[in-house]
Amino acid sequence: MSSPLFYIFAAITLLFGAMVIASKNPVTSALSLAVSFVGLAALFVSLDAYFIGTIQVLVYAGAVMVLFLFIIMLLDIKAAEKLKPNYAAVAAAVLLFVVLIMQVAAVLTGFEAGRKSTTDAQLRPQQALVAMGDKALPTIANDLKAGQLPDTKLMGLQLYHKYGFHLQMVGLLLLVGTVGVVVLSKKENSPKGGRE
Amino acid sequence: MSAFSIEVLLALLGLAIVLAAAFLPAVSQRTLAWTGIAGSVVALLLLCGASHAESSLPAFVAPYYSLDTLSLFYKAFALVITALVLWLIAESDSTLSNYSADGKLGELVGLPLIVCTGMMWMASAKDLVTVFVSLELVTVAFYVLVAYTRKSALSLEAGVKYLILGAAATGVLVFGAAWVYGATGSLSFEGIAKGVQNAAVNKSVLLFGIAFLLAGLGFKVAAAPFHMWVPDVYQGAPTPVTAFLSVGSKASGFIVLTRVIDALLANGSRVTSEVTNLLLISAAITVLLGSLPAIFQTSVKRLLAYSSISHAGFLLLALASRSSARFDITSGGVVAFYLATYLPMTVLAFFVLCVLRRQGIGDSLDELKGLGRRSPLLALLLTIAMASLAGLPLTAGFLGKMLVFVAAVDHGYWGVIGCAVIGAAAGFYYYFKVILAIYTSEGTTEEPVTVSIASKAIATALAAIILILGLYPRPLQKVLAAPAAASVALGK
Repeated sequence: MSSPLFYIFAAITLLFGAMVIASKNPVTSALSLAVSFVGLAALFVSLDAYFIGTIQVLVYAGAVMVLFLFIIMLLDIKAAEKLKPNYAAVAAAVLLFVVLIMQVAAVLTGFEAGRKSTTDAQLRPQQALVAMGDKALPTIANDLKAGQLPDTKLMGLQLYHKYGFHLQMVGLLLLVGTVGVVVLSKKENSPKGGRE
Repeated sequence: MSAFSIEVLLALLGLAIVLAAAFLPAVSQRTLAWTGIAGSVVALLLLCGASHAESSLPAFVAPYYSLDTLSLFYKAFALVITALVLWLIAESDSTLSNYSADGKLGELVGLPLIVCTGMMWMASAKDLVTVFVSLELVTVAFYVLVAYTRKSALSLEAGVKYLILGAAATGVLVFGAAWVYGATGSLSFEGIAKGVQNAAVNKSVLLFGIAFLLAGLGFKVAAAPFHMWVPDVYQGAPTPVTAFLSVGSKASGFIVLTRVIDALLANGSRVTSEVTNLLLISAAITVLLGSLPAIFQTSVKRLLAYSSISHAGFLLLALASRSSARFDITSGGVVAFYLATYLPMTVLAFFVLCVLRRQGIGDSLDELKGLGRRSPLLALLLTIAMASLAGLPLTAGFLGKMLVFVAAVDHGYWGVIGCAVIGAAAGFYYYFKVILAIYTSEGTTEEPVTVSIASKAIATALAAIILILGLYPRPLQKVLAAPAAASVALGK
């Protein structure tokens, strides 16, 4: 992707990300987060990761953010204007942030993979496809020329062929989560006479 | 029957119990709990008889699933602790149901079996994806279990704290795993072991990932500086769940740590000194930050929480001290042995707390006063548990600590050994403070504490195991000595 678009979307992502923290109105924060997610989705698309980009919009910007807004409005959370910042905590947080950013930057500058452009980087799922011996399947570049979205296909293949066991485990995990939500949000019964 | 099918059946039993609790109100909670106990005991027997060949596994599981001695040991460990926790739940059902939302305990009985399944999968994990998914299965179920008695404000507080900090730790773990994958190009422990020997792998990227990976796992095993959540969560959670967290969750965290460290410190690894130093520093501060605050605790549950942190420190020291020529047991084997001794003593201590709670006695040291007269048996059991936790000779706890110290001395980690000695000495002080309290005669009442015969039998058996392991540990050590050959082979 041409770099002006990258900088525009990166700026949108960062700007609205900062707005999430800076804004005192929770509704503004939530909506800024949604916009920030859209910017992030555009960045994913620019990396040829169409599937993650789509999911980012559908799941995060769509479902999760609506849920956030729903809860904010349901609980009627007031703007946090009266909160006094705890300067010591803010200073410590800024320090930690700077240290982490410096660390990431130092590591990334020494990391060859970080300097490769996406055009010459071999995508691993593609290698996996080749390893499966199914050479008749089109490569990513061909599919892109044909206007298809191959990464969804590849992801599905990986998920259901290679990681079937983990998919089942995640199914159990979600079931446990559902049971947990029911348990923890059940209405309280005041203990009646006979019980105990 | 393969080990995998046993695990699937166990998870199904857990779901069946949750459903039975919801749709069959006539079935009592004790019956459900004992069904769960029977299920885990049967699973244990089946596991002993199951085929241990990897060819018995279904094809979609086999690439991610190891069946070596260590994973079988931790599978059996998970089943034993689950059965014992369900026993503790059956023992304290009347207390707990007062605080659950609807006065029932269905999920509290069903979910531990699913947790057990997750822990058994963790024991077999061969790659970071399996580790992550099964770890999350265990953790998500624990979020629910910790907050289960939500009419108690402490339990709710513990649940919220565990959820938020646990979610943050999960994020850190995944972040670290992603960097390690980026550096080594592999998610399997075998591939990572190759990656750390490969000179072409960028070392700073690798170390960056390892630091986050170890931080995430450190949270799960309550290693300092990621131990802050432990006292509050252990104190607020229902007592049987605390025992489960303290033994089960810690053990499954340590099997994963054992695998990760085995891979990172494989022969010819380029990060040996960094990872070893990280482990040693964490071990030293974990022992100190666990033992020293424990001295000032007045609640026995909180004291056991700090004790659990301090034990994590000893286990980390064991992991850092790679196999020495002196024993036929690897550092992973030492950790497993230590955990095997840690299980009976911790469960026994929590059992006494559960029984006392049912009689309306809280967990503060003051309320324990006079227990020696009110129930000589309980007092004796608690004394054995505390003596073993402290590491008194002739108990299992002594041998566990001794193995760790000997291995560390062989490597000359004197600074950390100094901290560990201070921790162990502090341990003698605070564990014996509990023993002193129960034999102090100035109790307010002389009313005897009653215990059912079945529970007496199980508790006495646990105490007997502590003493037998303390006197004759050879059989268990022999079982654990086997992985030595296997993991050395993997390292080369």
